[in-house]
Amino acid sequence: MEQTNASVLLKKPKLRTRFVNYFKDLWLSFTKGDKYVKLSALFLGVGFFKRKQTGKGIIYAFLQLLFILFMIFIGIPNLVKLSTLGTVELEVIYDPVLRDNVFNDYDNSFLILLYSLITMAFILFMTILWVKNIRHQYHIQIKVEQGEKLPTIKEEIKAYMNEKFHVTLLSLPITGIVLFTVIPLIFMFLIAFTNYDQNHQPPIKLFTWVGFRNFNLLFDFSSSNQAFGYAFGVIIVWTLIWAFFATFLNYFGGIWLAMYINSKTVKWKKMWRTIFVLTIAIPQFVSLLLISYFFANYGIVNTLAENAGLLQFFKDIGLVKPTLDYIPFLTGPIWTRVMLILINCWIGFPYVMLIATGVLMNIPKDLYESAEIDGATKFQQFTKITMPFMLFVTAPYLITSFIHNMNNFNVIYLLTSNRATSDLKLAAVDARDVDLLVTWLFRLTSEQANYKMASTVGVILFLISVVFTLLAFNYVIRGNKEEDFQG
Amino acid sequence: MNQHMRSKQSSKFNHVVRNIGYNLLLLFAAILLLIPLIWPFEKLIGKKLRNIVYIKFFITSKKLRKSIVYHGGLVILSTFWLIPVIWLMASSLQTASGPNILTFFPEHVTLENYVNLFFRTDDVAKFPTWFLNTFVVAVFTCLISTMFVLMVSYPMSRMRFSWRKPLMNIGVILGLFPGVLAMIAVYFILKAAGLSGTLTALIIVYSASSGLGYLVAKGFFDTIPKSLDEAAKIDGASQWDVFWKIIMPLSKPIIVYTVLLSFLAPWVDFFFARIIIPPTESNRMTVAVGLFNMLERNLVNSYFATFTAGAVIVSIPIAALFIIMQKFYVEGVTGGSVKG
Repeated sequence: MEQTNASVLLKKPKLRTRFVNYFKDLWLSFTKGDKYVKLSALFLGVGFFKRKQTGKGIIYAFLQLLFILFMIFIGIPNLVKLSTLGTVELEVIYDPVLRDNVFNDYDNSFLILLYSLITMAFILFMTILWVKNIRHQYHIQIKVEQGEKLPTIKEEIKAYMNEKFHVTLLSLPITGIVLFTVIPLIFMFLIAFTNYDQNHQPPIKLFTWVGFRNFNLLFDFSSSNQAFGYAFGVIIVWTLIWAFFATFLNYFGGIWLAMYINSKTVKWKKMWRTIFVLTIAIPQFVSLLLISYFFANYGIVNTLAENAGLLQFFKDIGLVKPTLDYIPFLTGPIWTRVMLILINCWIGFPYVMLIATGVLMNIPKDLYESAEIDGATKFQQFTKITMPFMLFVTAPYLITSFIHNMNNFNVIYLLTSNRATSDLKLAAVDARDVDLLVTWLFRLTSEQANYKMASTVGVILFLISVVFTLLAFNYVIRGNKEEDFQG
Repeated sequence: MNQHMRSKQSSKFNHVVRNIGYNLLLLFAAILLLIPLIWPFEKLIGKKLRNIVYIKFFITSKKLRKSIVYHGGLVILSTFWLIPVIWLMASSLQTASGPNILTFFPEHVTLENYVNLFFRTDDVAKFPTWFLNTFVVAVFTCLISTMFVLMVSYPMSRMRFSWRKPLMNIGVILGLFPGVLAMIAVYFILKAAGLSGTLTALIIVYSASSGLGYLVAKGFFDTIPKSLDEAAKIDGASQWDVFWKIIMPLSKPIIVYTVLLSFLAPWVDFFFARIIIPPTESNRMTVAVGLFNMLERNLVNSYFATFTAGAVIVSIPIAALFIIMQKFYVEGVTGGSVKG
């Protein structure tokens, strides 16, 4: 622990000085630069023309032109409306010239928000370019003053195939990530602070900012007319219980299975492993949908259980209500929860088994041999050698799989897609008693078009994920793996 | 329980008892059928198999007893794990169209469902169209994804630049967030771009952020000795040359892995396809969404058998690919920290 703290402390001033130097350098470039450098603060790329780097100058000038045009036609009109998200509602008016009904010049709150976001990203990009532009031109000025030869446009392009190759390679994938991961995440975050729902759907209606009202609704556990607080309480408790059991049962079950198959007595190890892997190799939408019919109220398992007398047995010991003529595998509140966790084991054991097998093979054999000589029992070997090693290698996996299970859409949604809830309070907000936050979010979006609450749930889920992600992150990136176990 | 139910139950019971022998036979046949699927991956051929069967089984009685207990346990466990798989195959051969709820194995076996699946399409079941759709999406997705993954992993592994570490950290953090969270907004962005409900949208969703999955490929590149690059650079090669002439030829396994993995994604993904393709657009569905829609409450009784046939057809190649790639898969999950 001390070590990580020390490294954090060492790193912080380094980052800060880098940050300060960045702006110091900008200020220096601006004040010490000649009039072309100063002018390039207004017109990007001016200095390049002066130093006969026309190609670069054109690119910078073109980007600036593009930016100005973008700001005039899309950026500013949308940014102006950002504070209200639009005021003019869609209306159909009669146009005497065209002799037809036409739409007025209405505002689309959704597009205003989206374009504003894109504009801000563009402004950020241009700011960085602007700083780079000034600094770069000052450096060129110094080079010229010192009589150095400037690279020609051909050499500059060549640099992007050589020492700047990473820029060439990374720009496209990063654009994809920004557009389809980063911006959507920010967008979802913003929607949580609006009243975008079934009654406020653009383009017909406007939506607007409502501050923290959605969050208040979600955390209002006492209110009687709104069921969001109630549903949120029910669902988050179940989400955490589910994630806990799904993660740890699978983890230990998988390790047990891996050790079982790994034991010296077992022949045809690969075949056994493949049989178990087969269950996860089949797409989940196939296997899980099938299982949901397998365990249906009048499905095959119920028929077999009835014939075998299991139904009567469960009735006798009180696990099934006497009025039912089936075992409510995926309909009874407790039954469903237990079945979901068990069915998840069916998928999860082989996954962990796969991973654990690799780790087990990596444990040095001599550790066990010397333990045996010292008279350690099998159980002691497990708790003192196998588990510490497993935990150490798979700790990041354990944390990420907790996040994954919290967001395990497939298992819950596919197994309970035909399930109805009898709880009216939950039904009012489109929740089911075995929903996870993520499936609830999905139902709110696709069935109720209640985007504001879905986003609010998303933000909460995001925050919970952040906590666990940062935990995992510390292991994945900062963790000093080698020291403990390679020595 | 009233008279009607009782008689229904007893007839069901007789029915099952009569069929026990038949069921066991079929169970055995189904396991036999599964062996060819597993066989190629086992390398249980020739000498090794004979060795195991003839010698190792008959060593000492104590060992034999232990062996029987261990293997018996495994047989029971794997039966549990295989039951749904066998039920899937059995159901795809049934004559009735709804879920089979009376016997585990159908009484009469037919290939009708497969014929229906391919040749008798209707508004609900358009398997050939879905298959083609998914194939097209998968091909484009795997091309773009593989390109992106290589484009990110190469500089992260082989080059050194000032923002490499921060970028990698951001990448790890973003990669850990479930894609579900950004999905609402992605849906609306695609809608604003006029792409919602199209296959193009699906390709974009599957491949746009694929750069985040660079860790396995980076781990692979890390294992290629740096001296190779350095020697080439002394000979005047640029990074471009190193990338194409040294790293790429050595990276066949990781390229194959990335291609296969990204090719699989559209076949197994249910969530994104479900959001992007509306339930009414049965012409633009992928296999996953199409098959899911067959099981809607009012359709399941007419289409369950067709669903199982489709499921078998889709599952066989996917399962085979997955089993081939399982070693790589482990590395992907554990970030390369496990070298099995």
